[in-house]
Amino acid sequence: DEASGLGCHLHSFNVTIKSDRRGSCHGTYIVQACVGYCESSAFPSKYSVLLASSFKHNITSVSQCCTIAKMQKIKVCLHCGASWHENMELFTAKTCQCDMCRLSRY
Amino acid sequence: CVFAPKPSNVNLQTFTGCAVREFTFLAKKPGCRAMRITTDACWGRCETWEKPVLDPPYIEAHHRVCTYNESKLVTVKLQHCAANISPFYTYPKAIRCDCGVCLTTTTECETV
Repeated sequence: DEASGLGCHLHSFNVTIKSDRRGSCHGTYIVQACVGYCESSAFPSKYSVLLASSFKHNITSVSQCCTIAKMQKIKVCLHCGASWHENMELFTAKTCQCDMCRLSRY
Repeated sequence: CVFAPKPSNVNLQTFTGCAVREFTFLAKKPGCRAMRITTDACWGRCETWEKPVLDPPYIEAHHRVCTYNESKLVTVKLQHCAANISPFYTYPKAIRCDCGVCLTTTTECETV
């Protein structure tokens, strides 16, 4: 799975933060996302589904999507000029799994 | 309802993307005898992701699934229907499949 990219795995990316409080504070950090390939399918709906939807839903989609199973907070330090800095908290993914798709946005 | 283990030149264990695939189901409705139908449906693995973001809800999701992109309606005549029951049964046959948004207007979107 790991080598082929199948399944759902941690994937590092850079996040750049700029804050305007007391001047320009900034920082670039590596956090983790979940990226991958999970199974999904679509096929003709059963008659009970047709009836319940007034014959509008003639396709049924059964799907899994790559999701963040566990998140972790990390503390980072923004640099604001030579002597002054600001702490803030970021989220990063800790574990991933193929699970429920976000229906509202998928 | 089952997907056929085909085509043979594609390794289903490692396949990524979204393809038309043979699918067999039982067409049944009250008052008629059920009929086994083999047609084309969609199956695959689409790239999906979730990443943490700074603002609520703190997770951004890209959840596209393998579904019908183009289809045509097929009507069959079921056998042994009761006198007052229409014997016709219509279902969609996939012409093209693609990774896309599950449209709740035409589709029963189930996630497991």
